[in-house]
Parts: sequence; structure tokens; C-alpha cells
Amino acid sequence: MENEFFEQRTDLTKLSTAVEQIKATLATIIVGQHDSIDLLIAGILADGHILIEGVPGVAKTLTAKLIAKTIDARYSRIQFTPDLMPSDILGTSVFNPKTTEFEFKQGPIFGNIILIDEINRAPAKTQSALFEVMEERQLTIDGHRYKMDEPFTVFATQNPVEQEGTYRLPEAQLDRFLFKIEVKYPTLEEEIEILTRQHQQKTTDQLNQVQPLLTAADINELRQQVRALHVEDKILEFTAKIIHETRNSKSLQLGGSPRASLAIVNGAKALAATRGRDFVTPDDIIYVAAPVLRHRIMLTPDKEMEGVTPDEVITQVIQKIEVPR
Amino acid sequence: MLLCLAFNPGMAKVGGKVIPVKTDSVTKKKPAIVRTDSSKVNIRRFNENALDKYRADKEYQYNDKNIGNELSFWDRFWNWFWRSLFGSLSVNPGLGTFLKYFFLILAVGALIYFVMKLLGMDMGNLLLGNSRKTPLAYTESAENIHEINFDEEIEKAISNHNYRLAVRLLYLRSLKQLSDNGLIQWQPEKTNSAYVYELNNPSVRQSFVSLTRQFEYVWYGGFNIDGAAFGNINQLFQNFKKQLL
Repeated sequence: MENEFFEQRTDLTKLSTAVEQIKATLATIIVGQHDSIDLLIAGILADGHILIEGVPGVAKTLTAKLIAKTIDARYSRIQFTPDLMPSDILGTSVFNPKTTEFEFKQGPIFGNIILIDEINRAPAKTQSALFEVMEERQLTIDGHRYKMDEPFTVFATQNPVEQEGTYRLPEAQLDRFLFKIEVKYPTLEEEIEILTRQHQQKTTDQLNQVQPLLTAADINELRQQVRALHVEDKILEFTAKIIHETRNSKSLQLGGSPRASLAIVNGAKALAATRGRDFVTPDDIIYVAAPVLRHRIMLTPDKEMEGVTPDEVITQVIQKIEVPR
Repeated sequence: MLLCLAFNPGMAKVGGKVIPVKTDSVTKKKPAIVRTDSSKVNIRRFNENALDKYRADKEYQYNDKNIGNELSFWDRFWNWFWRSLFGSLSVNPGLGTFLKYFFLILAVGALIYFVMKLLGMDMGNLLLGNSRKTPLAYTESAENIHEINFDEEIEKAISNHNYRLAVRLLYLRSLKQLSDNGLIQWQPEKTNSAYVYELNNPSVRQSFVSLTRQFEYVWYGGFNIDGAAFGNINQLFQNFKKQLL
């Protein structure tokens, strides 16, 4: 967004170009889902992990896979199953008869872009294995500390908890995801477009043609730019008020954590950058508030029984806070 | 033939012929011999004198049956309650009444407490009239755009070279104008983009989008603004003011 009276303090040309290219590439394969894609890109730029939830068949995995494909970095995919063990993800020490020593064999978590498919099909024991690596970007196994390479981003997909064979993720793990993106069904027009593309057999060819647009080093550079964006004190106060209000809301038994406050500001910074601004507005904060908070807050049992959704409560909470102006 | 064997245990089939089989005589019971007891039975009876003596003793005169018939269920409950609580100790009637009501109030209070806990209601709200909200560590702005003397405040900001504040006041004045003309519904919790979406007139919307952009750069972007830049921005606001007239 250019302004004839002011000059941007941060050169966001490279970032804006990359974002436009990624969006254009994804649009050749994915129909609709503009908000989800915006949040996915913002999530990567904000150095966060992203949880994608939706019913089966709404292209959750495909979207995450495509985004990963546009980045030239170590990519690994882990299919979560009920019998998956922590060592299947992290790695394990194997005895080497030649050296008569144990050697650590790295698991699939050692990568830059990790796609965890159906994350809520593994029990809590396996989920716990991700706590340290997701928050601290490191692993401690057999007394050794292994640092993850930057960038390190986890994309996880899941079906809604009500679906057969799923477990509820631990709150501590949910808090480690920057955004929870809810993928909805396509509209009628989008559905027709999906069928038309499939009928013309365009999708498969284009899927194979997706080329990396950014390197791991590019991602790290763009993340540094995003971190340096300007945020006014009044915007920080606005964010703090929203989180504070979630803790006092009678509809919630668990409000937002300080990590949620940080996530809102970081997410809003990344979103502002994708919109071509080097500063954050209240609109950015409000836009990311729901994806940041919806998996962190917990409704009271009576509200849950009434069928109230976390997004509705978040909207009510935000409507109580005066926009700084 | 098979049917015959099945129903006649005294027969057996040997080499294709059916022959009678002898039954086991060991299991036969001998006849029982019944003997009569001819010893003399001594019938014992209660000593009537001793019984009369006990009947006359006050310690053994129980009147509970009569008491039970006279008292109501409620009174019988309290009798049982006091007996359980104090055993055989005699209770002062005055103290008993006091304790009775004390425990009654205590029980009702406990019942209300459990019901409120069950419904998740806040005791603090009910008893002390306090809100559940903890006091916020920040001051809420109670600024009302309909009460600000914009011309005076803008003049003051410009004379102080506080151009950021001047742009903010110009933007708030534009919002007031839109609200006065019924083009937007002013609410402090609405964002600038929410007001943009409320505008149906394309030219008004276009102009307001431009003003919003300037305001956001100055107010949220923290951009420094000098007199010349302010002059240009001020012109945009003046044009918008005329557009709404």
C-alpha cells in the first residue's frame, strides 16, 4: 500500500513480490481459501507453527504441501497414527557394532518444513514429544541437545475432535501453535471451479510444475524484516486489553496466555507486511485475534452446551474494547 | 428296538439279542426305626411377682410410643437430632431453639452455596456487589467525538506544531460528520475499515479510504509529519468536509 506523503521505512518489495508469487502459484491449484492462504503465509513470516483444521476432503494437506513446495528447504512429512511412538518422530540411538558405540539416528522432525498429517490421531504420549522442539527449536535426547535448523516450521492438519478416532490435543501443545486455521467447505461457485479444473485434468500437471520460490535463507531474511516492523504503544495496549478481557469473560474458563498476546502481535506484524505496510493497525490485530485465540481459549461447559463457538466469544470480547484512535 | 432299550434300563443288547440284566442290590435302603422320647418335660414359666416388680419400676416405663404419636414428623426429627448430637445430656430449651434455628440457617446457606457453585455463579458479585472483573491497569478512553470542540482543538494542535494530533482530530471530525449525516453508525469499538464498509456512496468511500490511509500512517505508523506534509493532508480533509456538505 503506497502513500504519496510518506515513504516506507522498511523495503518490503522482496517480501511483497514473494507473497504475490506464492499466492499466484497456489491459486493455480487451490480454489478459494484466500483467508487460509493469507494466514499460512503470515504464519511462516511470523516464525510460527500452524494448525489447520477441517473436515476430510477440503484440501488441508494439499495446501500445506504446496506452501512447503514453494520453499526450497528440507521438507518432511509425518503421518500421525494411534501407534506412533515418540522415537518414530524424534529419532533414536542405535548401537553400531563397528564402533561399539550408540549413534543417534535423526527422526523426521529434523527438517525445515515439517508437515504432520492428522496430528490428533496420535495419543498424548506422542504429542508430548513435540513440546520441546516446537517451543524451543531444540531436542534433548540421551543428554545431548540438538538444535533445529532455521527456519523450523510445523504445519499440522487435523480433523475436528468430534470425528472418529481422534484425540484432543493437550492445551500445552495447542498453545504452541501460532494460528489455528479453520478450512471451510468451498462455495457453490468454487465447487464448480474445482470440478471444471479436475475435468480438464489441469490440477495434476500444475501440481508437478510447482517450483520453489524462496530459499531457507530468504525466509530467515524476511522474518527479520517482519520482526522489525513498527508497532505503536496504543496497539500493544489494545492487544493486551483483548487478552485481559478473555481472562475475565464469563463465557470462558480459560483465557489467553501471555504467549497468545505475543502471537497476536507477531501475527499482526506479518499480516501487515503481506499487506505492504511497515506498521500494525487495529484491523491487523482483530484479523489475527481469532486464529490466535480460538484453540487457546476454553469455553465454560454451559456455553459449550449452548453451542456457542470460540469465534463468537472472541468477537464479543473484541467488541468490548475501544479501538485506539 | 433302540427305542425299547432307551426306555428300559433293565434290558441290554448282547450279540444282537436283548437279555434281562440284574439290578445292583447294594443301593437298597433298610427300613427306618422310629423311637419315642418318654422323658418328663419340665415346663418353665415367668415369675409373675418379678414381672410385676419390673413393671412397677419407673426406669422400665417407656412412653416413647405415646410421645411418637403426639409429635409431628418435624418435631420427631429434631428430637432425634438433639439426641444424636448431645446424647443423654439435658438441653436447655432456650439454647435448643437457638441452635435449632442456627443449624437451620446454616443448612439453607450451604444449600444456596452448592446451588450457586453448581451454576457457576460468582459469590463475590452477590454478596459484595463486586464485579468479577479485576481492575484494569490501564485507563479507558471516554472520549466522545460528539463532545469535542474540533475547530478549537485543531487550531491549538496546529499552533503547537503537533501535526500528528491535528491529523487525528481532523480524522475524528470526519467520522463525526459521517455519523451526523447518517452515513455510518459511530461505535468506539469499530475499526476504520468497518466504517469504510458502511459507506455505500462510492465517491465518499473513495475519499474516506484516502483519509483513513493518511490517518493510519500518522497515528499508527508513527511517521513524523512536518508543516508542508500536514498542509497537503489537511487539504484532503477540507475537501472531504466540503464533499459531505
